Order: sequence, then structure tokens, then C-alpha cells
Amino acid sequence: MKKRTLARGLAGIWWVTLVFLYAPLLVIVLFSFNSANSTAVFENFSLAWYRRLFGNEQIISAFGNSLVLAVSSSVVALVVGCLIGYGMYRHRHRKLGWLIVLIYLPIVLPDIVFGISEMAFFVQIHEWTGLLQPGLGTMIIAHVTFQIPFVALIVYSRFVGLDPTLFEAAKDLYASPVKRVVHFMVPTIKPALISAFFLSFTLSIDDFVISFFTAGPESATLPIYIWSAIKKGVTPEINAIATLMIGAVAMAAILSMLFNRQGRR
Amino acid sequence: MSYSGAVPTARSRAMVRETRHLLFTVAPGAFWIFIFLVLPSAYLMGVAFMTNGPYGLPQMPLSLDAFERLAGVGFLGWSPGNLYTLLRSLWQTLVSTVLVVIVAYPVAYYITTCREKWRPVLLLLVVVPSWTNQVIRAFGWMNLLAPETPLSSLAESIGLVAPNMGLYPSNFAVTLGLVYNFLPFMVLPLYAAFEKLDTAQVQAAQDLYASPVRAFWHAVFPQTLPGLLAGTVLVAIPAFGMYVIPELLGGGKGMMLGNLVANQFAGSSNWPLGAAGAILMLIATFIGLFAMRRIGKRLGGGEEVVI
Repeated sequence: MKKRTLARGLAGIWWVTLVFLYAPLLVIVLFSFNSANSTAVFENFSLAWYRRLFGNEQIISAFGNSLVLAVSSSVVALVVGCLIGYGMYRHRHRKLGWLIVLIYLPIVLPDIVFGISEMAFFVQIHEWTGLLQPGLGTMIIAHVTFQIPFVALIVYSRFVGLDPTLFEAAKDLYASPVKRVVHFMVPTIKPALISAFFLSFTLSIDDFVISFFTAGPESATLPIYIWSAIKKGVTPEINAIATLMIGAVAMAAILSMLFNRQGRR
Repeated sequence: MSYSGAVPTARSRAMVRETRHLLFTVAPGAFWIFIFLVLPSAYLMGVAFMTNGPYGLPQMPLSLDAFERLAGVGFLGWSPGNLYTLLRSLWQTLVSTVLVVIVAYPVAYYITTCREKWRPVLLLLVVVPSWTNQVIRAFGWMNLLAPETPLSSLAESIGLVAPNMGLYPSNFAVTLGLVYNFLPFMVLPLYAAFEKLDTAQVQAAQDLYASPVRAFWHAVFPQTLPGLLAGTVLVAIPAFGMYVIPELLGGGKGMMLGNLVANQFAGSSNWPLGAAGAILMLIATFIGLFAMRRIGKRLGGGEEVVI
């Protein structure tokens, strides 16, 4: 009897929490189809805001910026982070405390401190040398900086999980280091590479604070565009673009679920 | 090692090769983080000790002006504004972390009571909202809590808020936003702890007629402590430095330290003051990390705690 009330109570809390977690997102989706310019009263179903969305050049260019930023920073972070991950594994018996501190620094530093210190630094360097003008370039640099540790840690843990004798075997099999990398290392850590790339990509798309402070006037990403639109005054157009982004996340969630299930079979 | 039989020169040559390998693999990333994060942070700390120039940019001579301003000393004498902001940040962090723990415990436990097949799905359901951008999530709460929405009307009719004020912007909205934002970060480590839970201990407590509360406190709670501590680090430290949520949901009276710092670099420029605030934030972060480590070592038996 007592156990049953406990179980029911738990299930109740679970469902309430789910409503809590999804209500703000569902409200956005619902009101993106509202014909009235209001977030309190739903009048009629309409696609007007979506139509306006695709005619808005600023949004299109913000979307492009987001993609360029996410892809290019992830690629750079993947290469650099992979090298660190492998170095950490190969030399794990040495004292590498300083390296661990360096790698954890971007993770523990509060976003806002990260963002403003890069911004102050870039502005100062630009004043002195004319390099590093705020824009997509500085944003890519900043994003790579916070992506490197995640890539390095994922790759490192994949290497740790491997059988060390594999490396000996590869050494015997392939004479040149290049061949060893191409035919042995890359294929064996491929799952780690894929998940590291997608994590970097997600981190980049998800980031607002660091992008906001390192962005230039022409390089607004989608979150920055949404932010300034909210600051200027709410329009259901934001609901529409936010709904599309929520849709992309939902797709990613479903894909990851299917992917997981296949992986287990 | 295969070099053991070789002459010392071969061995030292191998060492040189290994060191070169270490440099080759680690140096690019290490340099990257050093140039683009360590140097900027060091520069920011230097800025805190400079004086504020006419356009908000830092100037020589070195001074402690920024820290005095941060402590509330201005042209018109001392004002408590910044102190309130700091206290509010601490208070919001504390309240939201406690609330997150209270919600996350039953949720994490509930997931472990479900069938194994469903657990990854349930976890995913908890995590997915946090994949959307935090600006969008805060915007969702703005929509839900604005005046004239059902929730606001309900709060008005009970008399919780003044008529036509709505639930946002307010400190309450900020707390809600923080709990919403950080809940998954607590559920995941707690779930990991619950999944490893040794149920024999709980059984033993029940056999000895322990009340449910005592059984939880003595048999369950200590086992979930590593998860709780890891979750607290993941929730409290970012919550303290939060910028987006107080900015969008809090309004002027809901400002936290992150907003105070950011505003000095965006609107009312005063870089040294902002940098001094950033230093304060860093100190708080490292004290928090250090304290959690100590607690973890004392209570968690020296291991298991992930930090």
C-alpha cells in the first residue's frame, strides 16, 4: 500500500517535471502559428510569420553565419583536439599536470568571463596591430578555444579504452607512421571522432554568450539575432525562427535515439 | 621498453624523439588555449587595476579605483547597489541549486525504477530541452510569464502579484529560469548514482524498521552523495555567473553579477570595473570548486567524485 503511493507520487512528479520542461518550448511553437501579433491570446492558425521569416535577409544571413561558424570551428577543433588527445594518451606516464589544468580552464571558466576577456583582448590587439577585427574570424577563434578540451577528452578516453597491444601490432604491420595513422588510428577512433565533431558542432550552435561578445557588426548568428529582436520588442517572428530551431533539436534527438538503438543491436 | 639493451645514446635519442612527439601533438592546442584564453584572462586581470578612460577603455596609471567602484564607492559616496547585486547572485544560486536538488532527486530515482529499455529514452526526454539555445528557452518563459497569460492571471487572482504586473520580469522568474536551465545537469549525475545504488543496504534498513526518512538518510543519501556533489558543481558554478536568464527574465531589479560585469563592456562602458567584477566571479568560482573538492574528499572517501 505504502509502496504504491510512493510509486504514484514519483510518477506524478515525473509528469509534472516533463510539463515544466516542455511548456516553454511548446508555447513558442504554438504562438508561431498565431495570426495575431500577441503572445497572450491565440487568434487563428496562420503561417504568416514563417512567410515573413524567409523574406528576412538578416535572418538568412544569421543562419548562414551560425552554420559557417559551427562547421569551421568544429573542423579546426577536431584536428587540434585530436592531436592533444593522442599526445595525452601516448605520454600519459609523464607528469602532464600543467596540460590538464590548461585543458580544464576553458571548461571551468564562467562563460561571461571567457567572453569578455576574449573581447577585451581582441579589441586591444586590433588597436595595436590591425589584426583580429571582431567578426566571424574572432568568433571562430573563440569557439575553437572552448571546443578543444571536449574533443581532446573524448579522443583521449577512446584511446584509453583500447587494448595497448593494438599499437604494437600496428607498429609491426605498418612501417610508416603516416600509414599507421591512416589505416589504424583514424579507423579505430572513428566513433570518437564523429561524436567529438557533433558535440563541438552542438556546443557552437548552442553558444550565445561567447559569440555575443566576440561578434562584429556583420557577423550576428541566429541566437544573437534573436537576442536583439527580443531586446527591441517581441514579435511572433521570433517564435517562428525559434520553432524551426526547436524542430532541428527534436530531429537531432530522434536521430540520436535511433542511432543508439542500432548501435546496441 | 625495447630500447633496454641499446647503448645510452640510442636511449637518449629515443627520449628526444618522444619529447618531440609530445611537442608535436600537444603544442598546437596548448598554444591555442594559452594565446587565446590564458593571455586574454591575464590581460583582463591587468585591466582591473587600470583607470577608466573617457570612452570606458582602460588607461594608465594603475589604481584600485575599479575595486572601490565595485564595492559601491562612487562620486556620490557609498551606495549599496553593487553589494545587493552580489548578494542577489549568491542568494539566487543557493535557492535555485536547492530547488534543483529537490526536483532532481525524485526524477532521477523515478527513472531508475523504470524498465531498463526505457531509461535512455526518459533521460533523453530530460536532456533534450537543454539542447535548444538558452536564449530561446528564456524567451519561452517570457511568453509563459508575461502579463495577461494564464499563469500570470492565476497568480494575480490568488494575490501573489499586483494586478497587470505579470510574473515577469521578477526575481521569481529568474529563479524559475535558473532551475529550468540547470535541472538536467543534476538529474544526470544523480541518475548515475542511483543506478549503482546498493539496494541491499536499503533492504537492511527497512528490515531494521527504519522509517522511510531514516532509511533514505542513512542508506540512500550517502550512496548518492558523489552524484549530488558533481551535480552541485555543474549547477551552482554556472548559475552564479549566469548572464542570459537574469538579463531577459529579471529586469533591472533582478540583475546578477554576470549582468553587472557584462554591462560594463556593452552599454555603460567601464572596462576596469567590469574586469574587477570578473575577478570577483573567478575567485568565487575557484572557492566553490575547491570547497566541493574538499567536501567530496571528506565525505566521498577520497574517490568517486568526478571533479
